[in-house]
Amino acid sequence: MPGPVAWLRERLPVSGARLQELTNEPVPNHLRRWWFCLGGTPAYLFVVMIVTGILLALYYESSPARAYESVRHITEEVAFGWYLRSLHKWAATLMIASVILHQMRVFFTGAYRKPRELNWFVGMSLLLCTLMTGFTGYSLVYEQLSFWGATVGANIAETVPVVGLHLKRLLLAGDAYNTQTLPRFFVIHAAVLPATIIGLLALHVAILRLQGISELEFEDEPEGRPKTYDFFPDHFYTELIIGLVLMVLLSALATVLPAELGPKADPLVTPEVIKPEWFFYVTFRWLKLFPGVAAVLSMGFILFVMFVWPLIDAAVRRRRPDSEFSVWVGIAAVILIVGLTVWEGVVAH
Amino acid sequence: MELRTKRSVIGILGILFLISLIFVQWMEVVRKQEESGRREAPVAVPATSQACVDCHRNAQPGIVAHWEGSTHARKGIGCADCHKAEEGDADGFAHYGAHIATIVTPRDCGKCHQKEAEQFASSHHSKAGNILASLDNFLAETVEGSRVPFDPHGATPGMSVVKVHGMASAESGCQQCHGSKVALLGADGNRIGMDELKPDEHGRPTDLNAVARISRSEDGKPLFHAGTWPNTGIGRINLDGSRGSCSACHSRHDFSPRRARQPENCAKCHLGPDHPQKEIYDESKHGVAYRDLKERMNLDAEAWVLGRDYTAAPTCATCHMSANTRDPVTHDPGERISWTNRPPISVKMDTDAEHRIVTEADPEKRRAQIADTSEQKRTRMKNVCGHCHAPEYVNGFYKQYDALVVLYNEKFARPGQRLMAVLLEQGLRTKTEFDEEVEWTWFYLWHHEGRRARHGASMMAPDYTHWHGMFEVAERFYMELIPQAREIAAHAIAHGREAQGKAVYAAIDEILARPEHKWFKEGAEGQTEAIRKAMQERYGQGSSGGAKEP
Repeated sequence: MPGPVAWLRERLPVSGARLQELTNEPVPNHLRRWWFCLGGTPAYLFVVMIVTGILLALYYESSPARAYESVRHITEEVAFGWYLRSLHKWAATLMIASVILHQMRVFFTGAYRKPRELNWFVGMSLLLCTLMTGFTGYSLVYEQLSFWGATVGANIAETVPVVGLHLKRLLLAGDAYNTQTLPRFFVIHAAVLPATIIGLLALHVAILRLQGISELEFEDEPEGRPKTYDFFPDHFYTELIIGLVLMVLLSALATVLPAELGPKADPLVTPEVIKPEWFFYVTFRWLKLFPGVAAVLSMGFILFVMFVWPLIDAAVRRRRPDSEFSVWVGIAAVILIVGLTVWEGVVAH
Repeated sequence: MELRTKRSVIGILGILFLISLIFVQWMEVVRKQEESGRREAPVAVPATSQACVDCHRNAQPGIVAHWEGSTHARKGIGCADCHKAEEGDADGFAHYGAHIATIVTPRDCGKCHQKEAEQFASSHHSKAGNILASLDNFLAETVEGSRVPFDPHGATPGMSVVKVHGMASAESGCQQCHGSKVALLGADGNRIGMDELKPDEHGRPTDLNAVARISRSEDGKPLFHAGTWPNTGIGRINLDGSRGSCSACHSRHDFSPRRARQPENCAKCHLGPDHPQKEIYDESKHGVAYRDLKERMNLDAEAWVLGRDYTAAPTCATCHMSANTRDPVTHDPGERISWTNRPPISVKMDTDAEHRIVTEADPEKRRAQIADTSEQKRTRMKNVCGHCHAPEYVNGFYKQYDALVVLYNEKFARPGQRLMAVLLEQGLRTKTEFDEEVEWTWFYLWHHEGRRARHGASMMAPDYTHWHGMFEVAERFYMELIPQAREIAAHAIAHGREAQGKAVYAAIDEILARPEHKWFKEGAEGQTEAIRKAMQERYGQGSSGGAKEP
């Protein structure tokens, strides 16, 4: 009678050597530097979100009449409910932060350049999906911010020329917030977007593996050192350390600063101050700076430029190969993003 | 980083993560223990109350434990904050370095809860002590008891009874709901209450002679008159001149809003044969929904706003007092009540600036006196109803309710009251209540059965409206009140008071000649058949239309 390993091998004809070859791809030396390992961080956090999200979904009820009460029930009564909800919230916050940091690193190191433009597009799509997940996520709590955030979001969508009204209806399942809105948000948040993110992540990693990681060389690299090192166990340990640091950090944040519950949504009472989550501060401030359609169109244009930046950068570099244009644009963009975010954060309205 | 270093870092981080999970588990265990009462929630005792807590934790551990579970404790409000007495307060006394008083009155609570105290002060609740000079009080103090202590019939083995305290029924019964007139014990054994102390606008006694007469224990603590304290009646008349007792609803010392929101809290007083509001509520759809959905009532919510914090079911507090998305919370339950069903004949709750019911009949004068109409009150109640019912439904309910009250008023209450008045005018009953059978009959009719019918209709309890209500009202009227009045009239005529007896007969005949009573005088043989026929037409062949005669 064959042993369990032989039994399995018979049914999964993958040799150990092939598996080792697949998993043990040489890793470029620059990944020894911690700053360059941020790409895996959102993936870790995404897994945390999936696990905690499934557990929260066991108790969450997506009707306006029950949503807030079910979140209160999770936070106050379900065993470890407060912890799961806080982990979910903090993982979301850190995931968005790490996605932005990862993108900044890719941008400033020029890792989006030929032949990696496609992966930049996929990355941009992942960023948008992550932000959408954040938006639909805090809408599910059905506190004041949830309701009015969704209402304001839908009104902004409506200002988009031609398709605005359809976008709004698509988002709200009607012309205004109604009983079907929350179930729709829940399906988008818990099924559509995670599935899309998983698909895009797979594509992101597949492209990365096909093309290999863009290699960077540093002046302080020791002489005669090999240009790569083993994935296993060396880089695997690095990733494990990052994962553990994240888990400890998340656990600490969840216990010290647990997720709160604001006042329940009241369609009849518009809050005096309404602000979205921090990652939308920049958009919110931008929309306040310019009148309706101009703000939305300019926002769309900026997003489009971000998307096709590898092509713009290539065009610029064809004319002036030594141009530091993209670096300066990047610095300006970071200053603008940080500036608008801080501005929105410090002012009352 | 070397591989060995990485392994060490992973080990340390792994242990750290494990510790964090153990910490989370510990937090969860503590939370569950606090929730189930197996562990006390952390409370920071204010320095001014530390000595009280330390001592009373041994002497009265319940009091301290209750307080520790209160919002007061979480917010740092200690014993001294509520029990602190001002210099000169009649009931103040020195207690281990502090100057305190035993009773915390609405005036004391109002120092922090000003709005609530003001609303309560203008409510009918705060005036519940006015019963002290009412018919009910006469019942308890004289009919059931005795205003004068009397000698026992015989010995009570194991107890020395020198005199029977005739006020016991009033003190343990009426006054525990309506409130006592709190009094200190005078050196001569007399009461020293508000009337003797004559408190000023700040609640301090102005009659210092009365203060000087207060009996005190060896350690200087003023002694209360046993008949007046302990008492948490809602209309208690306090030594400082304030009326009421916040702890009537917000039981001390945890002052739980959760408890005050539950119907059982009101049932300390609002139950029984004369005003079974709690039982009526229990029978209604509202009460049924509450029992089923209690765990969805969010009873611990900070503000407990209907339509925002819960919608599962209404309790007494929901409809009469608590906040909803349209109106704020009020501590005056009368603000949403449009009929008063307390008196023999129900009265619309048009109230003046002092919250007194306007009795003026002249329309113009009446309008001038009214500060808050019954319709305004009804609108506030409808605002509550409107969270779960459409306007047509609510208006329909009020039509049914109004119709029942008017039916009771006009068919039984006014004729009954008139009959009682005629008997009195003709000298065929004494001015003293409850010394003749007909007075008990009339009292049962309006005070017990009539109220049950009206309260039943007001809160949608059909059985209380009909079988415990109108059915018994009708029986009492036709089978007792009318026959007893006739008997009195016949007795008067037989004993040479013909004119008086005839006047009573005339009143009875006039009442029974009205169309609504005609069936009683002339018979209604055809009516049963007519009803059955109409039912058959409406519901088809074979419909019984209710119980048949044998």
